[in-house]
Amino acid sequence: MEELMEILEELRPDVDFEEEKGLIADGILDSFDIMSLVGSIDEEFDIKIKPNDLIPDNFNSAEAIWALIERLMEE
Amino acid sequence: MEKSILTWLDQAEVNYQDKVAYRDEDQTITFAEAAGISRAVGSCLTEYVKPQEAVAVLTGRSVMTPPCFFGVVRAGCFYAPMDATMPDTRLNQILSVIEAKVMIVDRENLEKAQGLSFSGKMLILEDIIDTPVNEAALTKAVSNMTGKAPLYAIFTSGSTGVPKGVITSHESLMCYIDGLQEVIHMTGEDVLGNQSPLDYIAAIRDIYLPLLTGAETVILPKNEFAQPKLLFETMNRHGVTVICWSTAGIELPARLDGFSESKPEKLRCVVFSGSVISSVCLKEWQENLPDTVFINQYGPTEATGSCTYYTIHDKVTEDTVLPIGVPYKHYQILLLNEENQTPETGEIGEICVTGPALALGYYGAPEITAKSFIQNPLNPNYPETIYRTGDLGKFDEEGILWFLGRKDRQIKHMGHRIELDEIEMTAQKIPGITECSALYQKEKSLLYLFYSGEVKPKEIALYFRANMPAFMVPRKVINMEELPHLPNGKLDRKSLEKQFK
Repeated sequence: MEELMEILEELRPDVDFEEEKGLIADGILDSFDIMSLVGSIDEEFDIKIKPNDLIPDNFNSAEAIWALIERLMEE
Repeated sequence: MEKSILTWLDQAEVNYQDKVAYRDEDQTITFAEAAGISRAVGSCLTEYVKPQEAVAVLTGRSVMTPPCFFGVVRAGCFYAPMDATMPDTRLNQILSVIEAKVMIVDRENLEKAQGLSFSGKMLILEDIIDTPVNEAALTKAVSNMTGKAPLYAIFTSGSTGVPKGVITSHESLMCYIDGLQEVIHMTGEDVLGNQSPLDYIAAIRDIYLPLLTGAETVILPKNEFAQPKLLFETMNRHGVTVICWSTAGIELPARLDGFSESKPEKLRCVVFSGSVISSVCLKEWQENLPDTVFINQYGPTEATGSCTYYTIHDKVTEDTVLPIGVPYKHYQILLLNEENQTPETGEIGEICVTGPALALGYYGAPEITAKSFIQNPLNPNYPETIYRTGDLGKFDEEGILWFLGRKDRQIKHMGHRIELDEIEMTAQKIPGITECSALYQKEKSLLYLFYSGEVKPKEIALYFRANMPAFMVPRKVINMEELPHLPNGKLDRKSLEKQFK
């Protein structure tokens, strides 16, 4: 989770990732962010985020993103 | 040639009437409705503006935006579209260049508009779309309009640190759309899927092709572009047959492995432009859509959309390099070498564009205009303006044009044109930065800022977020004790590039 928070913090220092629960729903992350984020996560955790995973539910909060990473690491 | 886009709009109103012209997530608008709204908006505007003046438009990604643009034109004026997602600083820069007396804003963006440095008349779109039509005023407003009248001013990154407003005439826009139509053969059966923000040059295809052809444009939801499965479903639901997207928009679904889940079933034609496409991504598209025609376009905003195209006949492989092809109708391309002469076939030269589709220049910036819009040095006999693109190219034996990179420090990032100098000039405004250098890592589409000074990377990122459009925000901000220099004292950018992770 710490590594993820570091990635998020570097990507968007203006966002409070502890508090925000609507990163996609509220339009906080844009498509540039998602592109960079998916690239960084794939690299950092050696996983492959698939298009099916690219749904708002998986990216609305730091916890949701972390849950996705954990799930993909187990696969 | 018709003299203005109003001729197209009037014809479309008669010919296509109740057919849908524009569709977004929430609503649709027919050709007759679009024409009606344009008359109402135009009638209202004639009370506040004189012909050929600027009207700023700050509206959302909605079907109401194109008819609002047309309304500005009905009043004999030109529109300066602004993207509400951009920071106030940027929008204020645009407003200070364009000096519009009137701004049209929709309710959704009213609060944003009220926070800008604008002292003119603010009109709320929803309140003026029922204005009774004043036929006499509308007729008078366009009575002296010619094809050379300005249609829009669209802003692009400027190396001086201030965005440049590319001002374009009706004639130029109509030349480009006519040339494009000759290649993609749209009909009233076609459905265009819009990707570009509506204030951006790439949207002119989605806004104007329907008027000429009776096709429908679907404004695709912005947030679906990073979610290819949803995007393709939406495209299939609306029966999208043609897309004219930025290269970045085409690459995104392929990079995100979008075709493993679904694909856009009805696409017959894919047109892309903005930067050199990754052949890996294009290969993915071709393999999944074997019957679809793919067209590579090239051209700067100053040449109104695109000036050349190349229809891709063969299946590409991972190391295919595509040419940028041949000029559209209404365009002429010439190359100039460093001596301002025509280089030999196969030799490199700067790509220059001429013909009726050229933009009029940069708004309120005669000096910058004079640098790029110049007299054709090959023609000593009468005035003939050419636009120097700053791009390098060569013609091969068959007369096909190839793109060979930039002369200066302009880059293309996710379909947006950016002057690295503008990023550096912005960073220099932040207190505590001693020296900085903006660089672009093409392979990963990452914008870097290297700097020396006391300030923290986080503060720099925040400053950019607050003042620049998202595509101009460096995603990697790296603090160094000192930036490397060459013996002559200039920044050593090559050595900085080695620091890319």
